[in-house]
Amino acid sequence: MRLSALIATIAAIIPLIALIYFVIVRAIPWLDAELFVNNPLDKPSGISNAIFGSLQLTTAAILAVSPIGVLAAIYLNEYASPRVASWSELVIDVMLGVPSIVVGMFAFMVVVPQLGVSAGSGVVAIGILMLPIVVRTTQEVLRLVPSSVREASLALGVPVWKTVIFVVCRTAFSGILTAVILAYSRGLGETAPLLLTVRGTFAQNWLDFGTTMNALPLTIYSYSGAADSRTLGQAWAAALLLMVLALALNIVVRARTVNSRVA
Amino acid sequence: MPSDESIKTSTGVTTSRRTEPVSAEKAADDAYPTSSKYALELNNVEAFYGTFRAVAGVSLKIAPKSVTAFIGPSGCGKSTLLRVLNRMHETLPGTSVKGQTLLDGVDLYGPKVDPVRARRLVGMVFQKPNPFPTMSIFENVISGLRLGGVRSKSELESVAETSLRKAAIWDEVKDKLHQPGTSLSGGQQQRLCIARTIAVKPEIVLMDEPCSALDPLATLKVEELVRELAVDYTIVIVTHNMQQASRVSDTTAFFSMDEQRAGYLVEMDATSKIFTNPKESLTEGYIAGRFG
Ligand SMILES: Nc1ncnc2c1ncn2[C@@H]1O[C@H](COP(=O)(O)OP(=O)(O)OP(=O)(O)O)[C@@H](O)[C@H]1O
Ligand SMILES: [Mg+2]
Repeated sequence: MRLSALIATIAAIIPLIALIYFVIVRAIPWLDAELFVNNPLDKPSGISNAIFGSLQLTTAAILAVSPIGVLAAIYLNEYASPRVASWSELVIDVMLGVPSIVVGMFAFMVVVPQLGVSAGSGVVAIGILMLPIVVRTTQEVLRLVPSSVREASLALGVPVWKTVIFVVCRTAFSGILTAVILAYSRGLGETAPLLLTVRGTFAQNWLDFGTTMNALPLTIYSYSGAADSRTLGQAWAAALLLMVLALALNIVVRARTVNSRVA
Repeated sequence: MPSDESIKTSTGVTTSRRTEPVSAEKAADDAYPTSSKYALELNNVEAFYGTFRAVAGVSLKIAPKSVTAFIGPSGCGKSTLLRVLNRMHETLPGTSVKGQTLLDGVDLYGPKVDPVRARRLVGMVFQKPNPFPTMSIFENVISGLRLGGVRSKSELESVAETSLRKAAIWDEVKDKLHQPGTSLSGGQQQRLCIARTIAVKPEIVLMDEPCSALDPLATLKVEELVRELAVDYTIVIVTHNMQQASRVSDTTAFFSMDEQRAGYLVEMDATSKIFTNPKESLTEGYIAGRFG
């Protein structure tokens, strides 16, 4: 039993290690300054527009979604009746499970006709995918705030709404920030919805959400079939960057969770 | 002799001598002049969790600036009744309260009374010390004021110092006011919570087994504090510790449970009377440790 479990573990780890190894080895030769500074049409070409496109898309989505998601979580946890809360939680759980291509298709059919193939449509699609993550994780964090904290505040003659904002949310602040970072890290890697809504471009787009933009997942998608080694190498480099960004954010989340002051 | 008597009265000595030791007996004593105000007066108060009646028909009167101890077996509704007194009971879903609770003669559950205001007038110290985990000692003490809209830094600072002094913890924390409240020991945390409660200047302070999480030394400190606070505040304290009840309280109320597990008041009297010569045999049995 023990031996077979060990073999299974190794079998599970091998593909992971292989993946990381391949990405790193293939990407490293192409990690030069031009990669980060230049755009695909520059000579020599780079993927700067994809890097900053990804950051812009994901940041815009998180800025739009966090206030909504956090407020929804506060409502569900602090105010909603148990029945409303459990139904809403069911809906959120379903949303969490919706494949991103389905969300992409929804955005393509419903949002793109309004906003066009554009960064804006992409932000909507990514936002839809992030929202349930923010709500769910924030709810979990709020649940960790002991009821004794709420009671202490109420017993001081603090109104409920002030208790919620200035005591409960303050106690959970670190955790709420963690929820937002987690959602950001997920949004960064989303590909399917971007393919259907943003499509990508060779140009650098700064904060113009009415037109198209580039993103790391889109670069990986369109470059990975390339015949010339430089383009292919840039696909690997984009993959490495995505991995490193996601890893870095996850490390931040972990560090925050360990140090969490919510007892 | 009559001249002697009149001198005493005119200098006020008699008056002051009468109020102090007698205050213990006042609350339950029918001879206590009805014209005087009670800090709290309960008439047939009942408290429910859903349909379960946890407190049944409690009527009692509490004199101002006295210490009243609630004692009785576990589950007899002491905490529930305490939470009725500052309208914390209703913060739990499905709960309800019946009967009349008068605070300084005003119905605490009257239609015009804002529960938030009621809780300002009737502060509460909980069984487990519960400082706000992300706030410093200073922020903890002034939290009630600051969240109540007080902005003046100098006012907040002076209230913090007075409250911490009154709660007998100033010397221990004055050099680390900006460290987290949770960095203190359990006993210090509890005194911090007491400081936080009195910082909003309530009229009544309710304490629900405030020493049950503390060691004997810390307990002693809190007990001393309770006695000192009784100069300015009306205090109601729930305790399972008979010695504690006899040490700190002027008046003791003994509660028990009926067959439906509803808590009721067995008797209330001067503490010395309850512990030496109670009217009810049930009380005597409980104090002697024969049940509960
Ligand atoms: N949140 C609640 N929901 C339902 N019933 C409750 C709740 N809290 C207390 N009760 C019930 O109300 C009754 C009185 O409880 P309460 O906590 O007031 O007792 P107590 O006298 O304070 O006991 P202890 O000495 O153990 O603290 C008990 O039967 C208890 O089971
Ligand atoms: Mg209790």
